[in-house]
Amino acid sequence: MSSQGPRRAVVTGIGVVAPNGTSTEAFWKATQEGVSVLDRVSREGCGHLPLQVAGEVRGFDPGAVIEERYLVQTDRFTHFAMAAAGLALEDARLDAQSHGSPFALGVVTAAGSGGGEFGQRELQRLWGQGSRYVGPYQSIAWFYAASTGQISIRGGFKGPCGVVASDEAGGLDALAHAARNIRRGTDAVVVGAAEAPLAPYSIVCQLGYPDLSASGDPARAYLPFTSEACGFVPAEGGAMLVVEEESAARARGAAVRAVVAGHAATFTGASDWEKSRDGLAQAIRQALEEAQCAPEEVDVVFADALGVPEADRAEALAIADALGAWAGNVPVSAPKTGTGRAYCGAPVLDASAAVLAMEHGLVPPTPNVIDICHDIDLVTTRARPAELRTALVLSRGLMGSNAALVLRAGDGNPS
Amino acid sequence: MTTHLTFDELAALMKSGAGVTVDPKVLEARTEATFADYGLDSLGLLGIVGELENRSGSPMPPDAEQSRTPHEFVGLINSVLTAGA
Repeated sequence: MSSQGPRRAVVTGIGVVAPNGTSTEAFWKATQEGVSVLDRVSREGCGHLPLQVAGEVRGFDPGAVIEERYLVQTDRFTHFAMAAAGLALEDARLDAQSHGSPFALGVVTAAGSGGGEFGQRELQRLWGQGSRYVGPYQSIAWFYAASTGQISIRGGFKGPCGVVASDEAGGLDALAHAARNIRRGTDAVVVGAAEAPLAPYSIVCQLGYPDLSASGDPARAYLPFTSEACGFVPAEGGAMLVVEEESAARARGAAVRAVVAGHAATFTGASDWEKSRDGLAQAIRQALEEAQCAPEEVDVVFADALGVPEADRAEALAIADALGAWAGNVPVSAPKTGTGRAYCGAPVLDASAAVLAMEHGLVPPTPNVIDICHDIDLVTTRARPAELRTALVLSRGLMGSNAALVLRAGDGNPS
Repeated sequence: MTTHLTFDELAALMKSGAGVTVDPKVLEARTEATFADYGLDSLGLLGIVGELENRSGSPMPPDAEQSRTPHEFVGLINSVLTAGA
């Protein structure tokens, strides 16, 4: 991802299906206004479970945007991913037919849990009616790689495809993987992550996480970096981006919206948040190095913001460790406090917000959060105008992965 | 469906099991058209075979899900259903 390298990965399209908006425009409006859509869990069959607050994607009709033959063989997490991919491709004005070379187009997604709702339905058939009543699409719908496969089939993308299963931070690792594919010769990659962890079975799988918020108050359930931090709120949805080789993008007249400039990932073990300080700091340093970016060039940080006191402390310290004296000057935002954490989808939503923030010259606020108890300049209450050339996006997973991504502003010009 | 699979029933199974919408008259008229032409993949056909087995209570021939065309499939299924009736 060297800026002098001959093949640079740039962002040319963004597609979002999130709790606070099922289009990129709606997502950015809610994000920059600091709207919180956290609410009581309303999904069928979940009312008796101890998880009370989540970020649900409401008002999303998959049948309006995805053909029925894909719907019957896919889980909700793939519906989100396919819808977001469709929006991103439309945004980038890219399709395999007009591109002319389907083998130059690939797909990469990250997934944390696969298709839980579809799987639950088929398992209920297994135990309720018998094995002969389990449909054959169970074999593919639950699988982590389902979204990559379906996006590839639907769009006719025959280039390098893959799925990254590396914890929540896998959302950033997927972007790095896409950039690597582009360096190796692929023209464009549809890349991102979307999750659907709010079905009964999926929620039960999460109840063992000590980091999950048990609060029943949507306004107080997810308050990272505050003395009231009591865990995180899960969410569904995510985002897909179109990442392209820069000269190919410019040759077809696409606007360069951002440059994927640097990335690094580290691993420090599950639920050992104190150790994530060093892991995250190291990921930041290496990502900056790859981007040939000095700490002083970082204009905004999108924080992981787990909402667990030890994790928040480790992240604030990691930012200080890696950015040095500059850490005191850089605005930090965690817009996910208004939507919840969509596992692998969360850092891709943050990367999308980072591109939009650079384009609009606005650091979005951190909804619901007011009094900070860590030494970071967290933007709260309302968006802060600023000239943003470089954004740093951070992510950590519950199983111990840490990742940092550096995005540089594009020129936004088609040529 | 007890002793005979019609094109109407096959069209309904393609719709319910695999989300593929096809006019049964077209299905019947186009004798050479393949399942792939209609957008039905191999897992979709496997699901239809399973559904037929559950409804009839008897196994379908092991190569039923290998059928290329709806006509081939209907012929094969009916040979079993008729024989078993």
